[in-house]
Amino acid sequence: MTNDGANDLTRRGFLKFVGASLALAGLDGCTRMPAEKILPYVIEPPELTPGVPVHYATSMVLDGYATGLIVKAREGRPIKIEGNPGHPASLGATDAIHQASLLQLYDGDRATSLRSGRQRSSWAQLSAAFTPSSLRSRVGARGAGLYVVLEPTSSPLVISLLNRLRTLYPDMRVYYYAPLAGPNEATVARYDLAPADVILCVDADVLGTMPMHLHHARAFADRRRDPRHGMNRLYAIEPSLTVTGMSADERMRCRPSAVEPILAHLLSTLGGDRASGPAAAPPLPADVPTAWLAALASDLRAHAGRSVVIAGPHQTPVARALAASLNDVLGNAGHTAWHSASPLAEAGASGHSIADLADALRSGGVRALVCGGVNVAYAAPASLGLSSLLTRSPERLYLGMYEDETAERATWFVPQSHYLESWGDARAYDGTLSIVQPLVQPLYDSKSLVELLAMLGGQAAADPRMLLRQSWQEAGLAPTDEAWTSAVRTGFVAGSGFAPVATAPRSPIGPVTTAATSASPDSSTTATAPDRFEVVFAPDYRVHDGRFANIGWLQELPDPITKLTWGNAALVSPATAKLLGVSDGDGLALRHDSASLTIPALIVPGLADGTATIHFGYGRRGHEHAAIAAAGADAYTLWPAVGVPFMSNVSIERDESASRALATTHDHWSMEGRDQARIQTAAAYVASSSTQRPPRAPLPTLFQPEHPNGTSPHQWAMTIDLGTCIGCSACVVACQAENNIPVVGYEDVLKSREMHWLRIDRYATGPEENPAVVTQPMLCQHCEMAPCEYVCPVGATEHSSDGLNEMIYNRCVGTRFCSNNCPYKVRRFNWFDYNAELTEVERLVKNPDVTVRERGVMEKCTFCVQRIREAEIAAADAGTALHGGDVRTACQQACPTNAIVFGSLTEPETTMMQRRAEPRAYTVLEELGTRPRVTYLARIRNANPELDHA
Amino acid sequence: MAALFPRWSNTAARASLLALALLVVGVPLGLMAFVRSSNASARYEPVKQPIPFDHQIHAGRLGINCVYCHATVMRSPTAGIPPTQTCVPCHSTVWINSSELAPVRRSMQTGKPITWNRVDRLPDFVYFDHSVHVNKGVGCESCHGRVDKMSTVYQAKPLTMGWCLSCHRMPAGQLRPVEAVTIMGYTPAVAQARLGPELAAKYHVRSLTSCTTCHR
Amino acid sequence: MSATVEPDTGVSAGAGWPLLTGQHDDASLTDHLLSPIWQTRPGWWWLFGLSCAGTLLFIGTITYTIARGIGVWGNNIPVAWAYAIVNFVWWVGIGHAGTFISAFLLLLNQRWRGSVNRIAEAMTIFALVNASLFPLLHLGRAWFFYWLIPYPATMGVWPNFKSSLPWDVAAVSTYFTVSLLFWYLGLVPDLASARDRAATLFRRRVYGLFALGWRGAGYQWARYRAAYTLLAALATPLVISVHSVVSLDFAIAQLPGWHSTIFPPYFVVGAIYSGLAMVIVLLLPMRRVFRLGDVITNAHLDAIAKLMLTMGLMLAYSYVIELFMAWYSGNQFERFTYLVDRPTGPYAVLYWVMTVLNVVTPQLFWVTRFRTSGPILFIASLGILAGMWIERFIIIVTSLNRDFLTSSWHFYAPSWVDWSILAGSVSLFAFLFLLFIRFVPSVAISEVKELSLGLGEGQVDLAPIGSVEAEHA
Repeated sequence: MTNDGANDLTRRGFLKFVGASLALAGLDGCTRMPAEKILPYVIEPPELTPGVPVHYATSMVLDGYATGLIVKAREGRPIKIEGNPGHPASLGATDAIHQASLLQLYDGDRATSLRSGRQRSSWAQLSAAFTPSSLRSRVGARGAGLYVVLEPTSSPLVISLLNRLRTLYPDMRVYYYAPLAGPNEATVARYDLAPADVILCVDADVLGTMPMHLHHARAFADRRRDPRHGMNRLYAIEPSLTVTGMSADERMRCRPSAVEPILAHLLSTLGGDRASGPAAAPPLPADVPTAWLAALASDLRAHAGRSVVIAGPHQTPVARALAASLNDVLGNAGHTAWHSASPLAEAGASGHSIADLADALRSGGVRALVCGGVNVAYAAPASLGLSSLLTRSPERLYLGMYEDETAERATWFVPQSHYLESWGDARAYDGTLSIVQPLVQPLYDSKSLVELLAMLGGQAAADPRMLLRQSWQEAGLAPTDEAWTSAVRTGFVAGSGFAPVATAPRSPIGPVTTAATSASPDSSTTATAPDRFEVVFAPDYRVHDGRFANIGWLQELPDPITKLTWGNAALVSPATAKLLGVSDGDGLALRHDSASLTIPALIVPGLADGTATIHFGYGRRGHEHAAIAAAGADAYTLWPAVGVPFMSNVSIERDESASRALATTHDHWSMEGRDQARIQTAAAYVASSSTQRPPRAPLPTLFQPEHPNGTSPHQWAMTIDLGTCIGCSACVVACQAENNIPVVGYEDVLKSREMHWLRIDRYATGPEENPAVVTQPMLCQHCEMAPCEYVCPVGATEHSSDGLNEMIYNRCVGTRFCSNNCPYKVRRFNWFDYNAELTEVERLVKNPDVTVRERGVMEKCTFCVQRIREAEIAAADAGTALHGGDVRTACQQACPTNAIVFGSLTEPETTMMQRRAEPRAYTVLEELGTRPRVTYLARIRNANPELDHA
Repeated sequence: MAALFPRWSNTAARASLLALALLVVGVPLGLMAFVRSSNASARYEPVKQPIPFDHQIHAGRLGINCVYCHATVMRSPTAGIPPTQTCVPCHSTVWINSSELAPVRRSMQTGKPITWNRVDRLPDFVYFDHSVHVNKGVGCESCHGRVDKMSTVYQAKPLTMGWCLSCHRMPAGQLRPVEAVTIMGYTPAVAQARLGPELAAKYHVRSLTSCTTCHR
Repeated sequence: MSATVEPDTGVSAGAGWPLLTGQHDDASLTDHLLSPIWQTRPGWWWLFGLSCAGTLLFIGTITYTIARGIGVWGNNIPVAWAYAIVNFVWWVGIGHAGTFISAFLLLLNQRWRGSVNRIAEAMTIFALVNASLFPLLHLGRAWFFYWLIPYPATMGVWPNFKSSLPWDVAAVSTYFTVSLLFWYLGLVPDLASARDRAATLFRRRVYGLFALGWRGAGYQWARYRAAYTLLAALATPLVISVHSVVSLDFAIAQLPGWHSTIFPPYFVVGAIYSGLAMVIVLLLPMRRVFRLGDVITNAHLDAIAKLMLTMGLMLAYSYVIELFMAWYSGNQFERFTYLVDRPTGPYAVLYWVMTVLNVVTPQLFWVTRFRTSGPILFIASLGILAGMWIERFIIIVTSLNRDFLTSSWHFYAPSWVDWSILAGSVSLFAFLFLLFIRFVPSVAISEVKELSLGLGEGQVDLAPIGSVEAEHA
């Protein structure tokens, strides 16, 4: 996907030049357009009208949990992914990864051919080699030598297939492994943020990466629409800065080793008794502000029953148990926090421990290893040595999408079908039964996990759709055809979520590891000792555990916090950076016992001193171009064991060899005293807005009155609520997918040439130890008095009669004057032909309703004008009037918190207009008189008065 | 000293001055004239098709309605090139063994589509939508000409941006009752000057000249 | 190199200098001034070879740019304009001195212009050749440049006359045309004398062709003068208008550092300033190599140096006013750009270098000796040329790289292509100029003869130079 601007002049380039010189000679007027062929259908499919999109419901499964999606297809090819409004894990929203998974379908690096060893092979040959009879001869009559590794799965179909396999191979061992899957327990912790007035997240990224984060984000945001009453308050205690931490009203940074002591301290403060609490509350580390905890405790107590305490799923069992007992003590259990049965197969069973597999391999008991879509050779703690142990098994059958680390070690490699090519099912985190439905036939000779398991079960030729239908019938999930059809249509079975279970009798909480054991009590001195650092291991917002590392959209998506693209870095606090004497990009060497890792440093305010945060998923060693282009460090080499959130006693020193220019898109945290992104405390806001202020008077002007283009029934405008923008960046990828925005690659991002029409600016105010962070989606403001318009010599950017600032690519000659004169710098330029090197398959992802831009033209946000025009035409064809509120932009549709709303100024009843009228509404750089059509709502920090340091 | 140049060189000098002036003025004018000519837009040049399908017979003599084959014109941006199956109903009884229809039979047997050659081509950055034009009372004829008189179809109109704008600026002149859009050689019952504005009001037709009306 | 030729009419240096020295009659003057085009000086080939190499580099990098895209430069968002536009403004500026000297001073009856105007005009033409290349080159899709020209297109759309760029095209092309005509018209009599004195028939033919049959008849002289004055009158307003229009490329934007009302005069001053510096840089070596000391005397150097001093002071004034206005406006963005970013930001070093070169250097010319000392003039002029290039860089890049939203701030660094194109354009200039002095009479012989005639008869009032008294004393 990447297009390296620095590569040499291609033959195509020369031809272009020749063409250019012809055109220069003024001949282009005479050249005729090349003849074009038209291939109609032979027999037209009834459900399909050429030129009109169709939508299907499906689900994307990550670490075993499903999220419902609606996918848009044109002439049979999926071109856009949206959330499924009815699905509890989506509520119509998506995250960046869902959006970008579309690009993975068309990824040019996907494995295309089935092979045995290095030889190309076929499904027939494979299934011949793995017929039960022949396989039994190799793995023993009862299949004792057969080992299967799958992701944790909640799929009834997969479970039924596994059961069938077990009848053939009773002694077969099945492991469920995904590096970042939650704890292996029979029940899962569930939360409801809607009724919670006070939310405490202890190293829990409830809005960013936790299961159901889209659901939680919506609930969280709905309680922040009106700061005047009913606004919730979010506390975050975390070592590194997360999406949740950025959105927190009060945030306390702490070393990861301090998490348990802090929770224990809170529990004892809130009167946790012996039963619920640990034997003795250990001493708090000296650098933890007890006053802060006291204020928090009183706030929690004040909202007992209407608060919730959440510990991250990757936290230690002790920490999560402490959080649970805090909820008990506060009487939240059953209201805002409860448990329900885990939807995962064999939850709580030993089959979830990959370490056992390593032992089995070492002992040589593994005769055949079937690996279903888990890249174990990469995505596992290096200490397990799986990448080398794999070869201990004589037969290694790997089903994967790429020729990756595990594929290299496979004796049989089967290309895996993308989820948009496969039939299947899964349950959401809350148990909701969801359908995985294909939108296209597999592009390549690939198979899904279902087909692989069926083949092993002796049904090589089985139609996965029929298998699914059968399993649902047998399991009574869809007894009738109606039930089945409606499930397929809606994509999920409503009300199939799991009910709360009586809180499992919790074993008394084990001894709390005091921070003292991991770091000396006085951690102000610990930071100075080189071997006393702590390293936090975090899932990556973009490539998760590394499986999405080859998706260009994600590699080039700036990290929500660091704005880093194409790689990872060791995130350190300013103080720690000073201590180590490093600045951004300087190399670091992290050592712990034998394990070591070299990685460039990146300074992030608000991190705990003496800690470094590293994201998983980089330093890939496979054959995927983008994954390799994204030079980064492999956190797995340092990761001690699965499920361990952090590591202590790590020594960190400078290492020039690891230095690297970091391609960050926004490296200036400060606003330099400007007020483009406004933030205010709730108290101050209420004080100012309670006395009804007069509406903002328009600035004095010699120009014509506002909304000058009244000739159109709709006047498009957008409102963005900074108070509920959590910076998750789903909108950025959604925009990229909708508008055919190219990927430019590491080199060009370094040169500040990224093409995103919508970027998320991120500013920090206040002390750099613990700043208040505000995220601001910045896109074309569609100014009524647009500075870009009057400077364009050829009128390639004009104002439409419905108030859009139009960009006409085919008229643009590329003077770039418009960008110079744009105070928001939201215009992007095609420095090269970024689409030139796309393969035929990669081109299929392009949205046919949006022009693919040529080299040398300017481009920018169009308010998704193609959607506006489509809606207008649909209304016109139907002879009805278009309601502006019905048009939704791609960013708006993806947003989990409804922070972005779009509509027409002519429809006062819409949410968009109501938000515009709020006292906290403002336009950026209003004093320039550009009259943006995008209005922002200032972020309101619901600060705790006791702690307020604003 | 002998004269360097013969006497005629004076004339030559003057002539060349004149020629220069003509060149400076003439070349641009020539180019502008050319791009407006039918050669530049390949207008009026019949486009050969794999099957000698005769619109003059089908649309003209037999009077088959445009929409019978171009079925999606009312509900889709594209008018639609008929699938092979569209030919079958009639041609399973008429001209069954005609060699000219061989491609149709082959297509039905093999399931491979017939490859037609495009006649009216707009650049890829132009988003023309048939449905809205037709539903607002713009006749097929207005852009495609008297197809019923073309045995082999050719591009009848310049299809330049200026040409599109001429109607987009004053649509009323081209409007007809929606029932009449497919009529060839349509003549308004009452004066277009009166009918046009009435229809424009009835169909809520506005003059759309914003760039994003066509370019996205 | 001591380029000053001691006047043999017993004038003590310092008091003032004659415009002509040595004993020449018309014939010897003509021979003397035509001599460069008859025989090649050693070293010419050296320079010519060098400039050819550079020009090839120019062509190569331009081809590369058009073939691959503007991305091969260092430009980015926010800094979407950089070297190409800097070079454009710089070259246009240099182009100003020629017309200024020939037309402006002609109308002001400054007779000393006579022996330098030809060189200055040639310089103007070649500078404009460069200047006109860059706006084309910096387009993302250069092959559609003609959309900036108003013509009835089948698209039914026109250029946007609210933008300054279409006017740029008009202004520069007009200026180029007029300068070319002006230069050629002035050449005609000298081409004729070259024709008459050429050794070979071929040369006679060639020069004859361009001499357009000039015979020096009275009626020809009469028409010649009329046309020449007319063109001068036409060209003079252009000196002001062209760079004013160019300055609008920035002034009409709302960007702090561009959005300024003093740009037009400020740019014109800067333009003439750099142009005069270029004249000096070309004049001194020529005077040395072709022994033109007797027609290009200290009087000329002195006059040009004085002009540079004046322009330098006006430019310094503009700098000060810019800073004052930024402070006085109270606008936080203006203040940041002028008072914080430029003096202390990432490009601060360049800013101070520019200030020294453009403001401090000309102060040398308060001293008479420096005004006439070849080495000092030469080095100072080079410094001023560099300073003026940096000024354009500061104006364009430092305004763009840190504007309103801190989120879009980004550093700009040129690529090797940027450097090659800059070097290439200088080479092209040298290439053309070397051809000029080799094949075209580089001093306006007829005017010099006229002058000497006038001097002989004491008709010419040389008060501006103040050397007549000395001579007649």
